[in-house]
Amino acid sequence: MSDAAPQPEAAVAAERLTKRYGSLTAIEDLTFSVAPGEVVGFLGPNGAGKSTTMRILSGTMAGTSGRASIWGVSVALHPAEAKRHMAYMPENNPLPEDLRVEEYLRLRARLKDVAPDQVDARVAKVMEDCDLVRRASGRLIGQLSKGFRQRVGIADAILAQPKVVILDEPTIGLDPHQILGIRDLIRSLRGRMAVLISSHILHEVEQVCDKVVIINRGRLVAQGRTDDLRRELLPHVGFTVVAKAAPSELAALCAASDPAAEVDAGTPVDGGWTRYRVTLPAGSPARETLAAGLMRAGLPLREIAEERYGLEDIFLAATRRSPADGRRP
Amino acid sequence: MRHFRTLLAHELRSALLSGNTWASAALFLALMGGIHFFALLECSRAPQPWTPVEATFRLFWLPLLCVLPLLTMRSFAEERRSGTLSALLTTPASTAAIVWAKFLAAWLTWAAFWCAFLAFPWIVQARLGTAGDQRLGDPATLFGGLCFVLVSGLLHVALGILCSCLTRSAALAALLTFICLLGLTAIGGAMESLPIESWSWLGWLREPAAHLRTFGHLQDFAGGILDSRPLVLYVTGMMLALGLSVLAVEGQE
Repeated sequence: MSDAAPQPEAAVAAERLTKRYGSLTAIEDLTFSVAPGEVVGFLGPNGAGKSTTMRILSGTMAGTSGRASIWGVSVALHPAEAKRHMAYMPENNPLPEDLRVEEYLRLRARLKDVAPDQVDARVAKVMEDCDLVRRASGRLIGQLSKGFRQRVGIADAILAQPKVVILDEPTIGLDPHQILGIRDLIRSLRGRMAVLISSHILHEVEQVCDKVVIINRGRLVAQGRTDDLRRELLPHVGFTVVAKAAPSELAALCAASDPAAEVDAGTPVDGGWTRYRVTLPAGSPARETLAAGLMRAGLPLREIAEERYGLEDIFLAATRRSPADGRRP
Repeated sequence: MRHFRTLLAHELRSALLSGNTWASAALFLALMGGIHFFALLECSRAPQPWTPVEATFRLFWLPLLCVLPLLTMRSFAEERRSGTLSALLTTPASTAAIVWAKFLAAWLTWAAFWCAFLAFPWIVQARLGTAGDQRLGDPATLFGGLCFVLVSGLLHVALGILCSCLTRSAALAALLTFICLLGLTAIGGAMESLPIESWSWLGWLREPAAHLRTFGHLQDFAGGILDSRPLVLYVTGMMLALGLSVLAVEGQE
């Protein structure tokens, strides 16, 4: 694996990628990129086309049209060269049951063009990094737990120090401890390898990824940094207010701070208190003054808290909107 | 080429450690031992126009149909079913290297089975034969017969690999291989038994039929005649089957 070649602008580039199975369109006009060293989350509901896209990028499936490239090399035209820059861990992480972990990693290292004198060192390093040395190295893969099998898959992916790692649901079926371990491992790859990771655990993606790409029904609906997407897709801020007031009274008080403020009908909680949701435009100055304004007005107020929109809200907002809205240059 | 060597070593190791290989070997040796035993028995009862080794080799189609499908059925079908073939295809190793490695490993295993069979005539010769008595195990017949099964095995094993590429079920792959090999052997036998020479309207078939007479090839090899035509037939057939296997793997993945 030569480092002499200049670093391309995009480690992974999908340009108008389309895959059709007869009359069924799995993905259409998908365009996104992953910069070198960047960790990108690839999100979408079930059947959105995530695994299809990843398989096309990894060269195990041909697209119908469009271009997929890894480290500047076209996957369709130069598959062997593209595969030298990339490692792919499929969704179900298929592994040969009858090989021992160390034997398997040695075989994969040789197939991935690791220099013969480097094989032992590389295998030892990834086994150490993936915490496989003590409890799994001499065991048959078929005897390993799901968590250790996932670790073996990730160890295989980073074995040849590729420029790009594509992981399809790497934390599926793992317990919280194992998820933490895999998360730390992926974090440690930042800056060294470009990582494209698909996961249904949005909290996980938010913790690990620099950027997200969201697809729905085979089309791109959003891509960018989480903060940028939050501003774009959720152009308002929400407050939870627990107060003793009628909805109209609270609405009038909020409107005094910002006429664009909206108050819902409220949900009664214990002791005559009501929980309301107040929504303000994202850039509203009332965001800073709402609490003070309500207290100044003498409103019996038990709680006021700004809601933090997570990736889950962004994902829901993105997958609700039309795919055409998500296309950006 | 480096990938091919790595893959071949892996396939040979897997074959050596696989229970399927050892079960196939046991079945093969039991079949061949039985055939050879009955051939010896026949020869001991009355003079025969053939030696026991010749008679055993003439029944080469029996282990071919019963054992070879077991040997090749898992090569691709099992890997496709478990998904490990997809993982293998994400490495820089080419599909052709993968197909050739699996083919060569299966062919070498098949060759090892036949080499193990040579122990039977040798044991018989050592226990019963007298010095210079070639009736029990003529080395030339043995060598010629072995050459035939190994050369024809190139095509037979390649067909098994192709059938394994076409399905995810090892059992179905074995059945497909059985049908292909049965068809090939039956056509070869039919080409010799049918009086094509006397049917003028089938004149165009004479030349191709001469190439396909499987049992005639066995006789030629056992008689020490090295005809290039069967060699070309089996090698080109093997290349065609392996080429189709590469296309099948690439097409399905």
